[in-house]
Amino acid sequence: MIITKGFCPLLGLAAMCLWGGTAIAQDSEDAIEGQALFETYQCWQCHSYQGQGGAHGPRIAPTLYPFEVFSQFVRRTNLMPAYSPNVLSDQDLRLIYEYVRSIPEPPPLENIPKLTF
Amino acid sequence: MKSRDKSLPDVAEKGKSEDKGINRRQFLSSATAAGVAAASVTTPNKAVTQESAQTSRAAVTPPSAQQEAMEYDIPVGYSAEEAKDYFVGNPGSDFMVDVLKKLEFDYITTNPGSSFRGIHESIVNYGGNKSPELIEATHEEIATAMAHGYYKVTGKPLAVLAHGTVGLQHAAIAVYNAWCDRSPMVILAGNHLDVAHRRPGVEWSHSAQDCVRVIRDYIKWDDSPVSLQHFAESMARAYKIAMTPPMGPVAIVLEGHLQEAELGNQQVPIPAMTPTQPPIGDTNAVEEAARWLVEAENPVIVVDLMAHDQEGVDRLIALAEALQAPVVNQFGRMNFPSNHYLSQGASAVAQADVILGLELYDTWGTINNMRDRVHKDVQRRARSDARVIDIGVKDLFTRSNYQSFQRYFATDLSIAGDAQATLPGLTEAVQSAMSSSRRASNAERKTRWQAAHIRQREQDRDWARYGWNASPVSTGRLYAELWNVVKDRDWALVSDDGQQNRWARRLWPIDKHYQWIGRSGGAGLGYGAPSALGAALAHRPEGRLPINVQRDGDMMYVPGTFWTAAHHDIPMLTVTHDNQGYHQEFMHLQRMAARRQRGVDGSSWIGNELRNPEIDLAKIVEGMGVWSEGPYSDPKDVGPAIARALDVVEAGEPAFVHVRTQPR
Repeated sequence: MIITKGFCPLLGLAAMCLWGGTAIAQDSEDAIEGQALFETYQCWQCHSYQGQGGAHGPRIAPTLYPFEVFSQFVRRTNLMPAYSPNVLSDQDLRLIYEYVRSIPEPPPLENIPKLTF
Repeated sequence: MKSRDKSLPDVAEKGKSEDKGINRRQFLSSATAAGVAAASVTTPNKAVTQESAQTSRAAVTPPSAQQEAMEYDIPVGYSAEEAKDYFVGNPGSDFMVDVLKKLEFDYITTNPGSSFRGIHESIVNYGGNKSPELIEATHEEIATAMAHGYYKVTGKPLAVLAHGTVGLQHAAIAVYNAWCDRSPMVILAGNHLDVAHRRPGVEWSHSAQDCVRVIRDYIKWDDSPVSLQHFAESMARAYKIAMTPPMGPVAIVLEGHLQEAELGNQQVPIPAMTPTQPPIGDTNAVEEAARWLVEAENPVIVVDLMAHDQEGVDRLIALAEALQAPVVNQFGRMNFPSNHYLSQGASAVAQADVILGLELYDTWGTINNMRDRVHKDVQRRARSDARVIDIGVKDLFTRSNYQSFQRYFATDLSIAGDAQATLPGLTEAVQSAMSSSRRASNAERKTRWQAAHIRQREQDRDWARYGWNASPVSTGRLYAELWNVVKDRDWALVSDDGQQNRWARRLWPIDKHYQWIGRSGGAGLGYGAPSALGAALAHRPEGRLPINVQRDGDMMYVPGTFWTAAHHDIPMLTVTHDNQGYHQEFMHLQRMAARRQRGVDGSSWIGNELRNPEIDLAKIVEGMGVWSEGPYSDPKDVGPAIARALDVVEAGEPAFVHVRTQPR
């Protein structure tokens, strides 16, 4: 699960239940389009190309957040530059979300011997 | 140390040497006369060699007094009396070198300049270019930042030789970084104050009434000696001031005429440099601090610019273990082992009821946070009832203009004193104040912090796997690949990982003081590469492996650093963090655009990118004689390339692997 300052896991879980299954399965075309938008809107500058996060942006992928929670972070936040609908439409934001959701889990630690310290 | 008296023969000795052979004046006079004689009786031969002149020397008629006078003894414009000073046998700058030797400078870094040509020549020919040895840099910023990095490994200052005008202007940002980072160095600034000795033209452009003014706001002290005695005393004073906490750069002006004029038979004493013991916190205040710490339920130690050497690390371990208190290392220095169970993340501050700050660069920012939004609201990170003790030397700084002293924070107990020097007394006071029940609680505390430390390390390793196979290479993978190549060597990281998501301190076991040199201080770009090279120079005699993770933006300020590495055979393993832009500024522009609801879709590249064309960093350093490979964007290529580079470094040369990476 993503660890993001200020996010309440229970709230996220409740929102996910409300959200239901309407957007659970998005097709890969949306994800591909979303990846292009992820790059256009410079999300990668703080969150890196695979959403793994960086020095100034938290890891956002893989995500268990429902779109509504994800959107809240983007629209109204004290953590990142808030992207209003005037510069990033809901439709584009949803496509970006689909890309983030499509990013697979990385290999497990036990399969990465170089991460043995 | 080389003896000045032995190397400069007195008049009697000079007479003896003249008896034994032919001196320069005699040789040149004879050779000239031979040439004149030959020309008068044979076909003119323009290719008269030195060898033939020497061979024929014995056969020629000694030059007449008139001939000698014509050639040398009374050069044009000289009186017979003045002609005695035509050559300089004992220049003032030789004495200056004696002073440098007495102060035991290992190296003197420089980009050459005519305002200090006198001492330059003395270092090379009189001093034998040893102790100090000249290190040539292609920019004063490089020369100065090398001194910065060198100090942080050895605890010794270097001397930096620069033009007093254009040289100090070039060096200024590196001096500022050292000032903010409390790092000492002795800057020697060439100048020609006396107009009677200034040549027309450039020498006027390179002279100033007060050349140190350009850096005076961020150095501890400076002086402009007008005699060699003055120079000797001011150098000893400068060294002493630079090395007394709070440490920092100092500057001494080298007057051109003082360097070049004949010293003659004057005997100028060189005073001893007696080091000043660092200030120690007031005993009563330290005992009060100890009581607070012992009585606290959750004492937390936060440390930044503290440890001068391994002794500082060991002293902090002793205090932390006595209290079983977590240590939040802000890594301005290597203060505490990253793999010690009491090494904890910054979140520990939130739980503390007593916070002990040791040489904090920013106490306010340690306790508070300010959100970067239109309304700059402040949140306190620490508990509202947490008491804060500050031990350090920051209140002993006395400059006003530059605001590196950070926002004022009303500490509950502020103790002026060098924290490393104060720690033994504090630890002793803690032990004395500790009741048996408090001591008994240490076992439980230890268990708790051991578990927290293991959790944190596991979490950090887990985070590093995200983006593991990404191309360009993730910064986490970059550090993991590096570690797997260097882990069995006596390594030292000579760069800061703050822009790479702090992966070294999160993943690598950093447990020796020399393995880490902290950050730049003033955050002025152009620090990274040369400070790393200065640190690598310091590691060279110890045979350690210096590792420099090099940012592209920083490197483009000072690419000539790598020429110096090759020229002076300084082994250093460089791996790049090339994200093809001034990434921090990119994020600032993105924040501004988002706040203004415009242009978040790509305009932030403008003015912030280092692409179009892409920069081939490997080719740049190759062109300066450094072994290099890359650029690599596929993570699979990185480990093998680093292994090949390691072979080069272990053979005593610098090596460079160009890796294109994710932003941070």
